[in-house]
Amino acid sequence: MTLKQIGLALLTMLMFNSAQAHIASNGFLTLNVEGKTISGTLELAIRDGEMAVGLDGNNDGQVSWGELRAHQAVLGTYLQSHLLIDTAQPCAITTDSVKVNERVDGNYLWLPFTAVCNEQPDTFHIDYRLLADVDPSHRGLLTLTAWGATQTAVLGGKQSTQTFAFGQPTQWRTFVEYLSTGIWHIWSGIDHLLFLLSLLLPAVLLRTGKRWQPVPLARPAFLNILKVVTAFTLAHSITLSLAAFDVIRLPSRLTESVIAASIIVAALNNLFPKVTEGRWRIAFLFGLLHGFGFASVLADMGLPSGARLLSLVAFNLGVEVGQLAVVLAVMPLAYVLRATRFYRAGVMPWGSSAIAVLAMVWLVQRAAG
Amino acid sequence: MHHSQRMARPNLRGNHSPRRFFVLALLVQIGLFQSSNAAAKAYEPSDDRQILATIPAGARHTELSARDLARTRIDVALPLAHFYIKQARSSGDLRFLGYAEAVLEPWLSGPNMSADALVLHATVLQSRHDFTPALAVIDQALKLRRDDAQALLTRATILRVLGRYDEALASCEQLSQRAASEVTELCTQSLHGLTGDLPAAYARISQLSSQGMPAAERAWRDSELGEMALRLGRDGDAEHWFQNGLRAAPDDFYLKAAYADLLLHSQRAREVLTLLKGQDSIEPLLLRIAIAQKQLRDPGLDASRARLTAAFAAEEQRGEGIHRREQARFLLEVQEQPRVALQVALINWQVQHENDDVLVLLHAAQAAGAITQAQSALDFVRANNLQDVRIEAITSRLTGVTAHPTATALTTKNAPTNMADSL
Repeated sequence: MTLKQIGLALLTMLMFNSAQAHIASNGFLTLNVEGKTISGTLELAIRDGEMAVGLDGNNDGQVSWGELRAHQAVLGTYLQSHLLIDTAQPCAITTDSVKVNERVDGNYLWLPFTAVCNEQPDTFHIDYRLLADVDPSHRGLLTLTAWGATQTAVLGGKQSTQTFAFGQPTQWRTFVEYLSTGIWHIWSGIDHLLFLLSLLLPAVLLRTGKRWQPVPLARPAFLNILKVVTAFTLAHSITLSLAAFDVIRLPSRLTESVIAASIIVAALNNLFPKVTEGRWRIAFLFGLLHGFGFASVLADMGLPSGARLLSLVAFNLGVEVGQLAVVLAVMPLAYVLRATRFYRAGVMPWGSSAIAVLAMVWLVQRAAG
Repeated sequence: MHHSQRMARPNLRGNHSPRRFFVLALLVQIGLFQSSNAAAKAYEPSDDRQILATIPAGARHTELSARDLARTRIDVALPLAHFYIKQARSSGDLRFLGYAEAVLEPWLSGPNMSADALVLHATVLQSRHDFTPALAVIDQALKLRRDDAQALLTRATILRVLGRYDEALASCEQLSQRAASEVTELCTQSLHGLTGDLPAAYARISQLSSQGMPAAERAWRDSELGEMALRLGRDGDAEHWFQNGLRAAPDDFYLKAAYADLLLHSQRAREVLTLLKGQDSIEPLLLRIAIAQKQLRDPGLDASRARLTAAFAAEEQRGEGIHRREQARFLLEVQEQPRVALQVALINWQVQHENDDVLVLLHAAQAAGAITQAQSALDFVRANNLQDVRIEAITSRLTGVTAHPTATALTTKNAPTNMADSL
């Protein structure tokens, strides 16, 4: 962006604040179906919010941020009674903290919410009655995303209830959905990756006496990496499957805490090596616990009844693809740098220390709940 | 309320013609749709005192008690609805039409059905360009109360927007028994002015004494005269009438739009910005501002463009086309996309047939190099003997298309006169 463009953008923003072109009253409703839960946002013009619940607390004809915030709970209640989403039974809506969004026709209140349904919907009804009693021309512009497909609709008016069907998602679509969730889970929750990296950092080195030496050949380094990754994969696949099919269940606070602890162990083992040859054993042992961590993600998403095994495999495969991509990106570099002082005296001790400290913070947070 | 056709803009709710989808697809393609990825932009202001919105009179939650009262008391419902419609007119804020609708709702059917409420409801529908339903509601009102002046006038207005001049004239004539003579005269003569008798009608209306006319009626008269003068090619006179009308009714946004068009036409864009200063919340006026900014290469154009784009996109998304005529002009004169503009102008033409609708269609067709697509408008011009030098300027250049010759003849006969003389 050039300076001129920035100036222009600023000018534009100022102008938007001074006056707005009048657009008929629209609420913007976004729904993302994620298994049993639907995460959504409602955007309502501040003016419409005033009409709906009375935001202008001091009645001075202006709505301030403080006034909007003070009415957060009222807005939540209003949403619950004027937006009904149901499958066979109504989904329970809970709202989060309100924010503000600037649109070209003025400021909108931005209310995130979650609707939890009893079952994973493939058909559901939306009854949108916001403002219907005061402004029958108000409409809800819906953007609905489910199974990677997006549809839009205009809600409200005389026919307030509308039905949305997704058809059963195809097997392929289910597969892709769960695969990508697996990949994103491993990339976004870096704890699993840090555990794996802690175990892999020394894979290109050899412990002789009290010193780290570079492995002379690529082959042993490769075998080290292969053993650790395979052990981790096998272990977490076992527990993930057991948990997904409800054979074993662990409280998530426990698994999350132990996962943090596992990272500390792996990192400390690089600083004060105890296990030097069979690191794959650490990978396997703690991998079992990481599997329970993955399972909690799946539990939130829900496994589609028709394709439980397929989606489990896809999710697991996604996790493997995600971690393998990171391993392939990092390890060749580690191999090239293994003989350098930077790697042996820098990355190994300081990187491991940083990981250990971070994991300790997590451990405290997670154990405290 | 007599000049309510001025709020007229087409509505296409429920019209799922292939053309509509074509336009929709195009608009999506050129990125007119406001993306819904607002999540990334949502924020929490740091100061509790930051003002997020100003609430206009009539839009406060505390006023809901008056609305509740209006459910059971028609003497509350009617003035309240009237107030909302007036607010919609002066502010251009479409929400007020919805508020009026809600207040009128209990009085539109069943044992409580009221002719006054029906007429107000028809006005709401007409303002949203729901012309066919508006006519049905008016007929219902006339069944309850034959010869209701307001109903007849509204009926004439809607029929005129639709280009159904004979039926409109019948309503005007029926009016003669119920309304003041100058209202009937305005109603009938303005129609004669559209059907071949422009110079005579212009003379008749300009002889109407404005003494004792209510301000709104005077504004109506002046805007009719201004429009007629423009069609006669007498821009100087037109300017006089528009200024005159604005003195009587300074908030009349139709007069302002017409005057702004005259200024734009005369390369006086800077005066448009002065005239419309602070009026940019009204879409038709914002359009004129944007065109002026474009002519002046004013940096404010980007903001106006963005706001109009969003406003049209929101209408599109709702399946409404309230401001179709403005949308066509926006695409033609601001965005310079004559082919898309032509498609929108054609959709507009399916709905309404005012003089300006003919003009925007012809201009778009000409710019797109597809004048044959405007044939139905040209046929309409010929069938009704619609006289307008601006239309004539276009048709005279066309070969094989015959248009009415009088308009050109008139301009040469009537050299611009000093308005003071003709008064």
